[in-house]
Amino acid sequence: MSKVTLTSSDHEPFIVDKDVAERSVLIKNMLEDVGETDAPIPLPNVNSKVLQKVIKWCEHHRNDPPATAEDTLDDRKKNTEIEEWDAKFMEVDQETLFEIILAANYLDIKPLLDVGCKTVANMIKGKTPEEIRKTFNIVNDFTPEEEAQIKKENEWAEDR
Amino acid sequence: MAALQPNADLNTTWAYLEQGIDQIMNRMEEGLTYDRYMQIYTVIYNYCTSSSRVQGGSQTDGISLGSQSQRAGASLTGSDLYNKLVKFLEHHLNKIRKECEQLMDESLLKYYNTQWKRYTTASGYVHHVFGYLNRHWVRRELEEGRKHDVYDVYTLALVSWKQHMFHHVQNNVMIAVLKLIEKQRNGESIDIHLIKNIVDSFVSLGLDESDSSKLNLDVYKQYFEQPFVEATELYYKAESEKFISENSIPDYLKKAEKRLEEEEDRVSIYLHATTHAPLIGKCEIVLIKNHSEAIWEEFQTLLNADKQDDLHRMYTLLSRIPDALDPLRTRFETHVRKAGLSSVEKIANEKDSEPVDPKTYVDSLLEVHAKYRDLVQRAFKGEAGFVASLDKACREFVNRNKVCKTSAAKSPELLAKFCDYLLRKSAKNPEEGELEDILNNIMTVFKYVEDKDVFQKFYSKMLAKRLVNATSASDDAEASMISKLKSACGAEYTSKLQRMFTDISLSKELNDSFREQMQLNHDASEFGGVDFSVLVLGAGSWPLTAPTTAFSIPEAVVKPYEKFGKFYNAKYSGRKLNWLFQLSKGELKGTYMKGSKVGYTLQVSAYQMGILLQYNQADSLTFEELSNATQLAPEALTPALTILCKAKVLIQSGGNTVGEPGSKYDLNFDFKSKKVKINLNVPIKSEQKGETEETHKNIEEDRKLLMQAAIVRIMKTRKTMKYVNLVDEVITQLQSRFKPKVTDIKKCIEILLEKEYIERVEGRQDMFNYVA
Repeated sequence: MSKVTLTSSDHEPFIVDKDVAERSVLIKNMLEDVGETDAPIPLPNVNSKVLQKVIKWCEHHRNDPPATAEDTLDDRKKNTEIEEWDAKFMEVDQETLFEIILAANYLDIKPLLDVGCKTVANMIKGKTPEEIRKTFNIVNDFTPEEEAQIKKENEWAEDR
Repeated sequence: MAALQPNADLNTTWAYLEQGIDQIMNRMEEGLTYDRYMQIYTVIYNYCTSSSRVQGGSQTDGISLGSQSQRAGASLTGSDLYNKLVKFLEHHLNKIRKECEQLMDESLLKYYNTQWKRYTTASGYVHHVFGYLNRHWVRRELEEGRKHDVYDVYTLALVSWKQHMFHHVQNNVMIAVLKLIEKQRNGESIDIHLIKNIVDSFVSLGLDESDSSKLNLDVYKQYFEQPFVEATELYYKAESEKFISENSIPDYLKKAEKRLEEEEDRVSIYLHATTHAPLIGKCEIVLIKNHSEAIWEEFQTLLNADKQDDLHRMYTLLSRIPDALDPLRTRFETHVRKAGLSSVEKIANEKDSEPVDPKTYVDSLLEVHAKYRDLVQRAFKGEAGFVASLDKACREFVNRNKVCKTSAAKSPELLAKFCDYLLRKSAKNPEEGELEDILNNIMTVFKYVEDKDVFQKFYSKMLAKRLVNATSASDDAEASMISKLKSACGAEYTSKLQRMFTDISLSKELNDSFREQMQLNHDASEFGGVDFSVLVLGAGSWPLTAPTTAFSIPEAVVKPYEKFGKFYNAKYSGRKLNWLFQLSKGELKGTYMKGSKVGYTLQVSAYQMGILLQYNQADSLTFEELSNATQLAPEALTPALTILCKAKVLIQSGGNTVGEPGSKYDLNFDFKSKKVKINLNVPIKSEQKGETEETHKNIEEDRKLLMQAAIVRIMKTRKTMKYVNLVDEVITQLQSRFKPKVTDIKKCIEILLEKEYIERVEGRQDMFNYVA
């Protein structure tokens, strides 16, 4: 099994199996386009702490069947369930969680991006706007008029 | 190259990207490092996710609501990068196009293909480094359907090629392609990859404008297939006309066949599969349909010369064109009919009076049928239309030929006689397996015979003879033939024939039980040592008639005759026995002859027996004395006597001819023969001929009855019917047996009117009512 070296933004090298690295569609495409060499692959937007997490996830999921674009789309959208290992994996502080999501988006690892977004979605589920603001440390910057307008527009979604 | 600040502005960002894309598009052979690849990707990622352009995005979109503009702007900056890329591609392609416009023919194709390959490969890479833009900005644009001219980057590359390259150069490209194909058709070898790549590129450009994820074949169909098929038509039109004027039709057929094969190969080697139908369709019209008249004309020549390969080729080619086989089928039918007629002509005797040998006749029919059945199988693949033509032709010449000149009933008569010849015990009986084949052949002819009732009549007549005289060669063969007839015509057709077999086997049992009873109750001497057996045959099933002459049963057999009558009446009261003495026979043993110590056994008819037994009382008797003693009418007595005289059992001593009044017949004590058993029970020639005539007459009578029965049956269900419809219906009902003549039906209707089964509807000449 050939190996590739991934370099984090803080210049730390990670040597991983090729199929693990190729969970990232970005890296997979690049290896196909450019061809394989011994050169390290720089990932200027991912720091070593997050990259380590991402690699851990990729290693665990290295044998997952490749997700095809269209047929799983609906499935992914509807389903908010997270499998046990992933749920444990996502038990991190909010800062790290967001960094993982950003890294997944950057590296184009759709299943990881989904798990991250689902985790956030579950954090929001069942909460009032005020509770959500509190959870994510958001300052309410709506004017009262704007807020009324939005409430009116989204009336249909209110729990009654 | 140094990394860019994550929040660099558009111009700085694009300047950086342009270099990278340019390298991918134009200098990929220099190689691309991971570092560079990642940098380009990251620059696009950073540009699209940078929050510094959020405001700019929302302003240009002009969305009033703050929250929405922020959401839209947060991840959807990208249109400016996209537009820069569009411009870049246009510029890049314009350069390639300029080069293209300098080139012609093969060098143009080579250049176009090289550029196409390089461009599409590079576009794949560009598509990947623009992955982030594709996944977010482009996707959102597509989902929201705001703009119709936004595509993912690879599709954009294709759309740009189509717009800036394809539409400008395709005309020259196609000219070059068509020249190349023409070269190949002329026999030169060409680089087929040049064309194959052009085809692939045209197919790839078939983009569905409304949904870029779907491909269609519009571009290929319009810009490649259409001009290609037109060029093909022109080429083959010229070629075929020239070839056909300089060569024979069989050579032309070979040429056309080869050309069609070549075009099929062309499709599978370097064209798109969908071109098969329009291309081959056009070729078929130009190569075959347009010359079908000339091809049809050749058919007769090929048939006459029995050129099976050429016929097969002609069939295969014409079968590609709708309705093009019809003229062949018609001609084939005529040809087979003529062949059948001349085959019969050859064996028909010059003088009509000479009877035709049944075997020769049937063989002559079969020979023609077999020859053309094989031809249909081999040259025409057993195609149903030709099978029908063959059947039609055979039906014609089987029922109407020189032998049947006097009557169509001749065919079934001869066929039935041939059956009898095969099934009757003789030294020439064929082997079992061979016999079965011949019987099957007979059924082939039988299928074509129109007057199946005639066949039935003759067949049952001759079967009766075989059974009564116990001259049937094989029970199995008889049963096989009956079952063939049954499956061809239904159970009703053979029911009487089958009952005849039943009667024979029942008679055996009857004789056994009669003999048993006689042994129980009587002494054997009562019968004077006469061995006696009887066939009891149902009058309804057997084509036999009562004797026309009286007959005084000889004294010697009176006893068993009477006993059997009583026995039978006791067993089946109410049944009446008619004794058919004209069919009866016996064996007499003579010990009076000087020529042999053991004596001779004479096999004789009942009438001959009646005559000979008179000589137990006297050695010489006159015609009148014999007539008196036997009670036989002169018509029966004379022929019986003639044979006895011919065989020299009796010797005529007075008068010139046998049967003359006053003639005298003496028992010949000097009778001599090499055989111990002498068969005197032989049919008389004149009798046979009369029989045939009678059978034909019977058939006419039967037909009249059948027609009358059919009319009554039809009228009973329909109650009222028009004349024309009634005639049609009668013909339909009876045609499996024979073809009724309209005049005969008319006669039958008149008979029924007279008998008041039906009546005319008042005031209408052409309508009838059923009279209940």
